[in-house]
Amino acid sequence: MTEARARFDDSQGALIASGDWQADSVAALPDLAGKQVRILDGTGVTQLDTNGAWLLLAAARPQAGDPLPELRAFQPQHLDVLNLVAQHRAATAVQSGPRQAGVLELMGRSTLSAWMHVIGLTDFVGRLFLTLAVLIVRPRDWRWREFGAQMNAVFAGAIPIVVGMLFLLGVVFAYLLGDQAQQYGANIFVVDGIMLAVLREVSPVIVAVLVAGRTGAAITAQLGTMKVTEEIDAITTLGLSPLTVLVIPRMMALLIAMPMLVFIGDIAGLAGGMLVAQQQLDISAHMFIDRLVDVIQLKTLVVGLGKAPVFAIFIALIACRMGLSVTRDARSVGANTTSTVVQSLVAIIILNAIFAVTFVRLGI
Amino acid sequence: MAAVIEVRDVSTTLGGHKIHRGLSLSVARGEVVALIGGSGTGKSVLLREIIGLLQPQAGRIELFGQSVLDVTPEQMNVLRRRFGVLFQDGALFSSLSVEDNVATPLFEHTDLPRGTCRQLARLKLALAGLPPDAAQKRPSELSGGMRKRVALARALALDPELLFLDEPTSGLDPISARAFDALIRLLADSLGLTVFLVTHDLDTLFSIIDRVIVLSDGRVLGSGTVAELKHIDDPWLNDYFAARAPDGETLHGN
Repeated sequence: MTEARARFDDSQGALIASGDWQADSVAALPDLAGKQVRILDGTGVTQLDTNGAWLLLAAARPQAGDPLPELRAFQPQHLDVLNLVAQHRAATAVQSGPRQAGVLELMGRSTLSAWMHVIGLTDFVGRLFLTLAVLIVRPRDWRWREFGAQMNAVFAGAIPIVVGMLFLLGVVFAYLLGDQAQQYGANIFVVDGIMLAVLREVSPVIVAVLVAGRTGAAITAQLGTMKVTEEIDAITTLGLSPLTVLVIPRMMALLIAMPMLVFIGDIAGLAGGMLVAQQQLDISAHMFIDRLVDVIQLKTLVVGLGKAPVFAIFIALIACRMGLSVTRDARSVGANTTSTVVQSLVAIIILNAIFAVTFVRLGI
Repeated sequence: MAAVIEVRDVSTTLGGHKIHRGLSLSVARGEVVALIGGSGTGKSVLLREIIGLLQPQAGRIELFGQSVLDVTPEQMNVLRRRFGVLFQDGALFSSLSVEDNVATPLFEHTDLPRGTCRQLARLKLALAGLPPDAAQKRPSELSGGMRKRVALARALALDPELLFLDEPTSGLDPISARAFDALIRLLADSLGLTVFLVTHDLDTLFSIIDRVIVLSDGRVLGSGTVAELKHIDDPWLNDYFAARAPDGETLHGN
């Protein structure tokens, strides 16, 4: 390879190039500011590709519309390349680059997109209810197989992590409560505390967070990928409704699996507390269970389990809606999956706060 | 002329199937060569082996006189700058604009300012026959034919000496397909490109190809111009050429 060179000959007004001209040769161009190039001379040019040709032409004629300089002493194949590039040069003159949006425009756009999101969600919920109504009238259309597969993924697959997390949280709660209670000799009340905390708040919320991160993200990614590969369109053209085939089974699976997972979490949390009570507070397993039976109220259990289906509906709604609103590019799948998890977590926290205030007001 | 692509005694086994059994071929500089063969004869596999995405079990593959099977990653990257690949479905980056898709190789491999890269990208888009207003669009907003053209523009971004095309005209309407063929030939002639393409399109073979290589049963069945290949008596090849009856090209003409 020969290095690309170019010099400007003032007497003839000629830009004389030599060597191999390609994209990297831009550094070889002399400063032509204020100079008029009349002739482009290619005596020593050994190789010329389209990138090199464009650089030479752009240097000689900064305005794409101007007539070409005289081309001198180029080899025939290089002349072809130059002519080909010159022919298409006008297209490269289109000035573009992403326009910077102002603050007002950004605010307007994000408000609009938030509003469209609300409308889209409302529309989605409406359609979902319609589909449910149809399914109640015609139960034969239920997708049992898909429902079973989803139950397996949502419920069975989540049991180990739910048990592990809640057990450890039970341990932590018992430690902290026990530390305080011991100072007043009120060891046995630790049982009351753990029971209340785990059953009413910790288990429902932690299970919901786990399901949102685990199942919600999976649903959005799966439906989104199906959207990208046009599988959803294929389902529609086969005369099936994606809502019946995909969304309802997932929603039902979540609706049924979540309370069961919360119940399993309750037991795991209490078991964790019991272990610490035994080791640290000298409360034997027997005493722990006796006390538990004395203080446990049905409403505590029901309040905790009752939150689960509500969380489940919101997670399923958000996940399915975000999955189906994926557009046909790779980034959109990632963005919508992230959005599902964030929206679900926010929804869980807000719903839980609403529950807490409502229950206190109602004296439950 | 030195061979640009040299394949010697390549054997490939994928999933227990013998795909290539001692396959050899070579392509000289400036040739436009088509690889044809029935479904499942390993055309695409061979292409992926030549560009270094797959490793054959045995044999030797050289590009520009350098083996692609035992090179360091750095050497392979140098080699990669010298060839461009057009994948069957375009394989455009869906999160970048059309212009940035084409400019990406220039961003990564040259020291040119971004503005110049984009202008060169638009030159490539114009060469590939796309209107200027396509540059700012997303790949998902384009038709299949336009996506192919964008992919060709990206393959040409660094002005490679060698171009690999996997089914360049599949999924295009006949008019676009012929225009695409003409474009490839024009670029091959004016830029001195060597083109290696895998195709099923008979019209492509008849219009722009210097030489056809036929794969069958894991080997090269024959190689030559379309007229020469017609003399080979092979059931698949006979059926293949018979498929183009309507416009007067007869099977055993001349």
